[in-house]
Amino acid sequence: MKQKALYLFVLIALLVSACSGGGAGEPAIVRVGWAGSPDTLNPGMAILTEAYTIFELVYDSMYDLNLDGSFTLSLAESANVSDDGTVWTFKIRDGLKWHDGQPLTAEDIAWTYNLYKDTPEYPYLNGYYTTYFDTIETTDNNEVVLTLTEAIPNIESQLVFLYVLPKHAWEGVDKLEYENTEMVGSGPFKMAEYVQNEFVRLSANKEYFQTPPKVDEVIFQTFENQDALVQAIKTGQVDMVTEMPNTAAESLKAEENIELVVGAPLAPGVTDIIFNQVDPENCPEEGGLCTGHPALRDRNVRLAMAHATDKQKLIDVILLGLGNPGLTLIPDGLGVWYNDSLTDFEFDTAKANQILDDAGYVDADGDGIRDLPDGSRPLNFRLNWPSDSLTAPRMSELLAEMWGAIGISLEPQAVDPDALTAQCCPAFDFDIMIWGWASDPDPSALLYVYTSEAVPTGSSETGYSNPKYDELYAQQQVELNFEARKEIVWEMQKIVHDDVVYIIPFYDANVQAFRTDRFTGWITDQAKVELSDVTSLVVIEPVK
Amino acid sequence: MDRTRAILRKAAWSVFTIFFVIILNFFLFRVLPGDPARAGIRDPRLNKDAIEALRVRFGLDKPVINCFETLNPIKVGSCAVNPMETQFFIYIKNLLQGELGYSYHTNRPVVDVLGERLWNTILLIGAGQILAIVFGVAFGIFAAWRARTSIDYMAVGASLVAWSLPTFWLAILLLFWGSTIGLPVAGKATPGMSSYPLLQQWGDIAKHMLLPTLTYTIVYMGEYTLIMRSSLLDVLSEDYILTAKAKGLNTVQILRDHALKNAMLPLVTVIAINLGFTVAGVIQIESVFSWPGLGSAIYEAVVRRDFPMLQGAFLLIAVTVILANLLADLTYTYLDPRVRVE
Repeated sequence: MKQKALYLFVLIALLVSACSGGGAGEPAIVRVGWAGSPDTLNPGMAILTEAYTIFELVYDSMYDLNLDGSFTLSLAESANVSDDGTVWTFKIRDGLKWHDGQPLTAEDIAWTYNLYKDTPEYPYLNGYYTTYFDTIETTDNNEVVLTLTEAIPNIESQLVFLYVLPKHAWEGVDKLEYENTEMVGSGPFKMAEYVQNEFVRLSANKEYFQTPPKVDEVIFQTFENQDALVQAIKTGQVDMVTEMPNTAAESLKAEENIELVVGAPLAPGVTDIIFNQVDPENCPEEGGLCTGHPALRDRNVRLAMAHATDKQKLIDVILLGLGNPGLTLIPDGLGVWYNDSLTDFEFDTAKANQILDDAGYVDADGDGIRDLPDGSRPLNFRLNWPSDSLTAPRMSELLAEMWGAIGISLEPQAVDPDALTAQCCPAFDFDIMIWGWASDPDPSALLYVYTSEAVPTGSSETGYSNPKYDELYAQQQVELNFEARKEIVWEMQKIVHDDVVYIIPFYDANVQAFRTDRFTGWITDQAKVELSDVTSLVVIEPVK
Repeated sequence: MDRTRAILRKAAWSVFTIFFVIILNFFLFRVLPGDPARAGIRDPRLNKDAIEALRVRFGLDKPVINCFETLNPIKVGSCAVNPMETQFFIYIKNLLQGELGYSYHTNRPVVDVLGERLWNTILLIGAGQILAIVFGVAFGIFAAWRARTSIDYMAVGASLVAWSLPTFWLAILLLFWGSTIGLPVAGKATPGMSSYPLLQQWGDIAKHMLLPTLTYTIVYMGEYTLIMRSSLLDVLSEDYILTAKAKGLNTVQILRDHALKNAMLPLVTVIAINLGFTVAGVIQIESVFSWPGLGSAIYEAVVRRDFPMLQGAFLLIAVTVILANLLADLTYTYLDPRVRVE
């Protein structure tokens, strides 16, 4: 009887598809399947990366971020800086146009920068990227003059996410509540249609001043279920998918007409094993509990745990081999900023045991768990992770096994992400956590996490404090010479690696796939692999 | 007279319940751990000033309520604080003006978001319920009339299986099957269809609805078949059915005029209660097929600590459940004269 119902459904399905089939003229439409959707299209209020993906395609900013981590000028044809490094003059290209036909001038750019600078409710654009802005002015020569409060070395990365908005469309609106669904931009794609949590449809701006897209439309469709996403590319309902589960990668490898690509995402991610090593004397006054196990404050214990951690096994089991072993919070996807000269602590359980023996952590009561040198407490650590993590449960099992081999026991427990934030920082009410970060193109943001200054603000999750490191952090923030700054950044990574502040099991790889029988020309040979990035979407063309 | 009073009493209770739900809703979400201004996002770029500015914007800098200082862990102000300056009274005041506030996460008015999502859910659940009722009742009648034959056993067996199938699993199976015969696996419509003729748009939506509706129908059909069958079997064993048979009425007459009206009663209750709850959306079906309904909106709101969305959605659900119950009561009095007597 159920069969009957089924047949009826199939019949209806066939009828309906017969009605809607057909259609003349074949515009080249790229269908992208992704797991999320933008939270809001108001650039100031947006937080999710999906929103930024759309901004990248529809808006322009002063610089473009390339897949190798470098920057090139976009809206400006030249940039000049004063000798003291505080006054930047950008000559804006002539003849730029908004999607609605109005001219885009220095006036729009200055207006936008002032908007970001003067709106404290914009969490990233105001709070982070305009921190050093003093004044923004225009000249008669279509120039933007940006005066900074102090000279900074990374102006490109500060400006790259400051999307330029049309003054004429934004001037009269409520800058916080404006939904911006029409999105008048100047980029290679125009907003055609937006239905929140369903899809974003963009049409090509064939008059784009840089590389105009070869395709006619790009559609981002939201899939709340990853099995559906995989099934959709297998059956050709989408042409490309971003953010796939690694488990799905295996099943797609065998598919004809589908190519799988793996690489660091545009905002490279880090998975970290966090040790609460905050000194009780350094416990944040506001909200600090500092209940961490004292053994974790001893570098020897952390070093032994690092030696006992088989990162390759973690990668093979958890990521099915799709990922790179990590060193510090600065991921390899950051290109030049990543210190590739460091050598990791080799996986050697015997050595790990030796280190603990030598440091006096012996099993005093014969229960198989080592104790503190004074015998007062066993090396039994709480291990927490956010309950929405897909990889952490498996990792906790593997870690319990690896660290069990050196006489350390764990109490694993998944915790709601918000509750974990409350437990984490600046409360320091945990022993070990598994969590992660996504990176800004500039290393400064993640390097800040290790500073003493970050302990009370809640950005530091380890409570690590090292005056030498703090000094270097301050130096790299103002070092204008690129090579010199790189040296400092590399030195900082060496310090925190030697101190075993974290164990970084791996840098997350982005697994994406595209259909080879639909579009060709995807850029997959760069340090970062991001098929939904503008660089790919403007060059791909339909397969003949 | 009596009937009007009974209805009035029930309506008054409903209003009271809704009022209670409003208050509960407000405090329920605020005892959750975590901070909506951060919403579980840890980012070194989110500095203290930015978070504080967001708090002010959302009104989270104000105390939740004044006095009641023992009501930890929520933020309470002292009795010196003007009660009108607390989150609770601002919430009530806005609610009385029909304002549900702004969603923290999507930065849009909650009313707009709920409105969009509600229609999608009603569309899906409406179609699914109607099909489930039609097929469930038909199979139930058929099974009861042919009780203890192989047809009956098959129907009962199939219904039990359908009823106990994990929804999520069934949905995934149908998704795999559907994708191989060219049915869309996600969304409500093909992006870009809005410029097509209306008929084609509806056809497109219908095509997208097939798999989720089929899942929904199978899951609920089993329940309805079983209830219909057992209730009809009860009725069919009554003496007046025997009398009807003795009078020489045919099968259709007996079922239609004598058995069904009585047998429908338990089913009406179940359907009404189901209808009330299903406005909440069927989270599993909606998330498997990426159906942009209320269920997935609520899930998202929980993850993001989006208090205004949660309050709005729960209020909506509470009101529908209460109304559905009221409706069930009233239908009952209509269908069964016995319950009219107080």
